[in-house]
Amino acid sequence: MKDYLVIANSKVFFICGAVIISFIILQSLMYMRLAYKEGLKIGLSKDKMVKAFRTGVISTIVPTIAVIVALMTMTPVLGIPIPWIRLSIIGSAPYELMAAGIGAKSMGVDTLGGTGYTKEVFASSIWIMCVGSIWAIMIVTFFLKKIKARYARAVNTDPKWRSILMNAAFIGVFSIFIADPLTTGGLPLATLLSGAAIMTLFAMLIVKFKQNWLREFALAFSMIGAMVCTVLIAKLF
Amino acid sequence: MKKVNYEEAVHVYGRIWMLSAFVMMLMIPTSIGVYYGAWPELSGVVKGLLGVAPIFWTVAVIEIITYTPMLGSGGSYLGFVTGNLTNLKVPCALYAMENAKVKQGTLEGEVISTIAIATSSIVTTIIIAVGVLMLTPLTPILNSDFLKPAFDNILPALFGGLAVVYVSKNWKIAMAPLIFMITLFVWIPSLAHSVSVLVPVGSLIAIVVARLLYVKGHL
Repeated sequence: MKDYLVIANSKVFFICGAVIISFIILQSLMYMRLAYKEGLKIGLSKDKMVKAFRTGVISTIVPTIAVIVALMTMTPVLGIPIPWIRLSIIGSAPYELMAAGIGAKSMGVDTLGGTGYTKEVFASSIWIMCVGSIWAIMIVTFFLKKIKARYARAVNTDPKWRSILMNAAFIGVFSIFIADPLTTGGLPLATLLSGAAIMTLFAMLIVKFKQNWLREFALAFSMIGAMVCTVLIAKLF
Repeated sequence: MKKVNYEEAVHVYGRIWMLSAFVMMLMIPTSIGVYYGAWPELSGVVKGLLGVAPIFWTVAVIEIITYTPMLGSGGSYLGFVTGNLTNLKVPCALYAMENAKVKQGTLEGEVISTIAIATSSIVTTIIIAVGVLMLTPLTPILNSDFLKPAFDNILPALFGGLAVVYVSKNWKIAMAPLIFMITLFVWIPSLAHSVSVLVPVGSLIAIVVARLLYVKGHL
């Protein structure tokens, strides 16, 4: 029996997890209230804000299932509660396993959960996971205000350029995620094209037939549709 | 005046929450030490931290520079605490702003983005918690050979749909970074896995092209 897994799956961390997720939900609710009140003050319609809420719910569900799949790859080596906590706050799956691996290597152990992976080595993995990824939080905490002020000064003079600039920044990010399946080909490419095709269909329904209610669902539906196509194509070929 | 109050409140609360998240994160390894007497050697931990620093530092700086102006202050504090930015929070916020027809970087955008990210954080947290409770029955289903290809390709599925919404509207800006990335990945395929490092490169190319087109009056 790997004795570190007994520690890794102990009640203490499940309790920590419960505390931490209550904390996230509380924080989210507080910000939602703050934003909603400010929205009313500046004349945003309730309808628009409720729509943002619905979009948030609908577009989140499918990608979150992928996070659970990532969680499953981590639990055999790191137990359940700690990966759960890490993926609920701050973390993202690929970095967590890498950090845990580096934590083990720096103690002279090569494989996670392998021979020599004692509770001390496990502790080292967890220290690296928890402390290593803290920097983004620290920078945001201490510098976000300054960064925002800097950005605001830079673009305030020209609102039209500002919106183009923001769009361009994200399109740059897009180009990576589009170019990757385009050059890999195979299933990723088929998935990308299916997603795009389904979204185009929705866009036509929304614009031509004024089916505005579809707007909030289009992204979630196109994702699910694309993934169904992936499964079908994988089965067929 | 009102605007100042909102901004101030967002920053004050944001800092308090962020620091508490930091303390909570430290609680976990500390309790392994306190409850189970498992303290790793300090030198090992420092060595490990130095090992991950280049990656985490780069990712942190890149994400902050690229995403904070899109998400607004409230959205940024929340998004950075809950994580999963590129695959979840950022697309969700942008899509919500697009649907509400508000612009990123404005106060209206900030409000919509914050509401969307707050909702998204709550939903994610709850679904993951449910997933943890149902881990035993769910594992064989989600890991089955039948469904595996779908989850392996969740990012292409997400960005295929998003591409239609954004690229179709901004295709003039999109051409250059897209061609650059395709060329790069054909040339050095392994780079496709260094997404975080390429994010600023892609954005920078897009911004430069956008600026040129804008100055010449093509946008």
